[in-house]
Amino acid sequence: MVDLKASPYLLVSPYFILFLIFGAFPLGFTLWVSLHDWQLAGDKEWIGLDNYQFLLTNERFRMTVVNTIGMFVLATVPQLLLALMVANALNKRFRGRLLIRLGVLIPMVTSVVAVAIVFSQIYGTKYGMVNWFLGNFGVDPIDWRKTSLASWVAISSMVDWRWTGYNAIIYLAAMQAIPRVLYEAATVDGASSRRQFWHITVPQLKPVIIFTVFISTIGGLTLFAEPMMFNSGRLDGGTTGQFQTVAMYIVQAFRERNNYGLAAAAAWLLFALIVVIALANYLVVNRIRESR
Amino acid sequence: MISKAARRTKLRWLVGVAAIALLAPACGGDDDSSSGSSSDEPVTLTVNVFGGDGFGYDNLVKQYEQQHPNITVDYNVVTDDYDNEFRPQLIQQLDAGSGAGDVVAIEEQGVGQMMSMDDAWVDLSDYGLDSRESDYPAWKWDLGHTNDGKLAGLGTDVGGMAMCYRTDLFKQAGLPTNRDQVAAMWQDWDGFTQTAQKFVDSGVDAAFIDSPNQIYNIRLVQEAGNGDGTSYFDRENNYILADSPAVKTAFDYVLQLNDMGAIGKFQNWTDEWNVAMEAGGFATMGCPAWMAGVIESTSGKQNAGNWDMAPVPGVSGNWGGSWLAVPAQSDHPEEAAALADFLTEPSSQLAAYKAISVFPSSPEAQQNPAVADSKNAYFNDAPVGQIISDSITSFQPVYYGELHSAVRAAVEDVLYGVVEGTYSDDEAWDAFVSAGQEVVDTSG
Amino acid sequence: MSTVTSRTRADAASEPADRRPTRRLRPRRNRSGAGVHVWDATPLTRIAIGATIILSIFPLYWMIVVASRDASAATTFPPPMTPGGNLGDNVSTAINDDSSNLVKGLINSFIVSGTVAFSVVVISTLAGFAFAKLRFKGSTVLLAIILLTMAVPLQHIGIVPLYIMMIELGWVNTLQAVILPFLVNGFGIFLMRQYTIQAVPDELVEAARIDGASTLRIYWNIVLPAVRPGIAVLGLLTFMQNWNEFLWPLIALSPDNPTVQVAIQQLTTGNYSADYSMIFTGTLLSILPLLIVFIAFGKQIVGGIMEGGVKA
Repeated sequence: MVDLKASPYLLVSPYFILFLIFGAFPLGFTLWVSLHDWQLAGDKEWIGLDNYQFLLTNERFRMTVVNTIGMFVLATVPQLLLALMVANALNKRFRGRLLIRLGVLIPMVTSVVAVAIVFSQIYGTKYGMVNWFLGNFGVDPIDWRKTSLASWVAISSMVDWRWTGYNAIIYLAAMQAIPRVLYEAATVDGASSRRQFWHITVPQLKPVIIFTVFISTIGGLTLFAEPMMFNSGRLDGGTTGQFQTVAMYIVQAFRERNNYGLAAAAAWLLFALIVVIALANYLVVNRIRESR
Repeated sequence: MISKAARRTKLRWLVGVAAIALLAPACGGDDDSSSGSSSDEPVTLTVNVFGGDGFGYDNLVKQYEQQHPNITVDYNVVTDDYDNEFRPQLIQQLDAGSGAGDVVAIEEQGVGQMMSMDDAWVDLSDYGLDSRESDYPAWKWDLGHTNDGKLAGLGTDVGGMAMCYRTDLFKQAGLPTNRDQVAAMWQDWDGFTQTAQKFVDSGVDAAFIDSPNQIYNIRLVQEAGNGDGTSYFDRENNYILADSPAVKTAFDYVLQLNDMGAIGKFQNWTDEWNVAMEAGGFATMGCPAWMAGVIESTSGKQNAGNWDMAPVPGVSGNWGGSWLAVPAQSDHPEEAAALADFLTEPSSQLAAYKAISVFPSSPEAQQNPAVADSKNAYFNDAPVGQIISDSITSFQPVYYGELHSAVRAAVEDVLYGVVEGTYSDDEAWDAFVSAGQEVVDTSG
Repeated sequence: MSTVTSRTRADAASEPADRRPTRRLRPRRNRSGAGVHVWDATPLTRIAIGATIILSIFPLYWMIVVASRDASAATTFPPPMTPGGNLGDNVSTAINDDSSNLVKGLINSFIVSGTVAFSVVVISTLAGFAFAKLRFKGSTVLLAIILLTMAVPLQHIGIVPLYIMMIELGWVNTLQAVILPFLVNGFGIFLMRQYTIQAVPDELVEAARIDGASTLRIYWNIVLPAVRPGIAVLGLLTFMQNWNEFLWPLIALSPDNPTVQVAIQQLTTGNYSADYSMIFTGTLLSILPLLIVFIAFGKQIVGGIMEGGVKA
């Protein structure tokens, strides 16, 4: 029955009005600002694509892009793989399922800044527990903030810790919807557990995996709180910018350098990056095929 | 159509408002500026400062509130990191036209930038405060003016410079702990280098200096002051870092000390630096007057007697020192100006000194025996007043351009990278120059 | 017939063959799991799960240990592993510390996150109902737009103009500045659309229409009661997510009027920047409300996440 009244439109209008004001308009306005030399006070001068040209040829900005992608990979791939395995483990029968699930979800409930602070302390060079722990095995203290790789690992571990449980629960739900007959048939044919996992469970989970990869991509490419708190609340991402993300660059550009046009241009480039990587992810994950 | 009842209510309101308006001037306030303002209505003034210990205004604020019953002062120490947090935030607030508070603190190395924002500030001479000129040395007074010549800031403290050192670590290293002997050890920079070498050779498990930043700045300011008074920018605001001999000398000195292994891997104001200050992670650190307070509160009672103070090599130096200014966006510029005046008077500077060891910028206060002869009990009764005064007397002011703070933050990151080992000595200078260049290029 | 077991044990004997006739091709959404799975948890599984739980909880535990001791706890080796007795003192000091405005942050976050959760629920149930049960021109297009908006992290991409807007409106440092942008939440609409499709039978809506009920009445009397579980889940998840927003509140608010994430960030630069026991006390306080919500409504939250996963 087609409802001819205007009421459906009225029902959806609150969302769209808000979206127009706080969603679409800022997006367009960002583009507009990025084409100018823009400070809050004073004249705004049209400079066309100069900001973009500067960013694309600027070594520091390129480094932040590399950092962002690097941290994204380290924060997403291990996390989702772990989540799959944890979900698989949770998919067994044992007592106290709800409690275990809650336990696995606890990281998600913690404040993001709180986690960043605690982990940053644990990764302290001289006084951090990780180095103390490694020291017991004869490993020299690692300066976690010094190199790109070490800082990426430390920061990504914060993200992994927070979200693995959440994604595991999502995978678990989807796993429970897989028809058991598939597993039965596979067992009859002599397939091992591992084979069944990779060739039945994972392909059946494809839509959910695509979804979680997508959500993690957005979160991973916009990392801000963790890398910022990792360096005591500073935006420079380490002494050479080794863990400065694009989001931090954007905020530094307009907050510390008073260069709103540059910040806006960087924001649009971040958007482009997200689109590209999300598409790439989709293409990769889509290749998970059901086999046999 | 207004009903009779509504009309009556309206009338009552009109009468009430008229009454208040007529009576207000009659309730003349006790403030000495021009009359006409409703000086009895309650006013809250927000004072925003920075620093590990703030500006020492707690008691002064209470005193002011008692003297002015209608005024409440909300005194905030916003953050201890001026360069990376307080300054950018204040700029945002000034740009936004709101949120900045009624009285704000401006630090010396950001003063160039602040004073270039002429429209952001109230001209304090509108409230008669240009009479304060006699309270300050010329350079301190001048720096408080905007590019347009407005009087925007009244000086509060100066940093001066001393070198604080850990007597317990010096003892372990076999170095003298008596401050006169220590001062004799490092009268000049060569002496300092030799002391560093001795400390490193002794094998004590601590760094000789906390970080590269302070030693670099001490050297830089001395060299620049003895030279033409410029560092990163010349007086036309051109970026001259690459060609500045003062910068190069200071830079090379840091590399020299680092090659010796004398510099600690701590960055100022980070968690680990704080922790190391308490736990004895380094043996010396640059000590402007206000740093003494920071050391005391961070190191805690358990370290009383472990810290002492001596003049820096070359004696002269100054880090920091601030002004109080009134943003133009304040709703109560007159009251704010009066408060700023009060907080910066020589007697208030004296009180602040007694509270948290921030050194007065007014010669009148500096000469007060309470300051000149003062000793700091935490630092083994070191004659702080004397040491700091000496450092300021020989101090030659340096010109800081508009972008000085931002460039400073970026290039000091590189210095730290050198200490960390990220940059080799050969790469370091180029990285240093381009880090500063990056700031100039990306700044709006 | 043997049944599937994990790789280490031949537990074939433990599974009766009569499982098969009761097996469904489309298993019920049975959360207790009984009758759907046949794998037993092996020791390896138990170890894996145990390790996961320990790792999940450890940082929180460490936070509690340090928060209940004093500053030296974070710098002594070997690190202390048991809580001390200082928590009460630390909490009262943290609450009274005015350099971080922790209490203000907590209150503001309650107001902001609560308002956002409530508003998102209202907006999402309205729009979800429309998309689920009403057919109207352009609904596919609008739905697609919503899907697209879910893809864009607005607070990062649009941060510059949002800030400029707030300045122009004079809303910098106000709570509405941190409430309004977060109301653009497409996920909520999707969730409620799903719930409404499932929970409200078409026949019911038709019958009500025939009886002359207006759309609003249908919404209020039929849809809302039916999707109540969905509302609870959406509200809870939105509240929790908004509690954790950091970037935009950092920009839009100033330190004297923070939300909780900004307040604890200030702990690291304020009066107690060197005292980890204070900092961790603050972080603990910032987590407490969420933990309470989680413990009280854990089952619904877990269920909600699982629903979301299946539907994704």
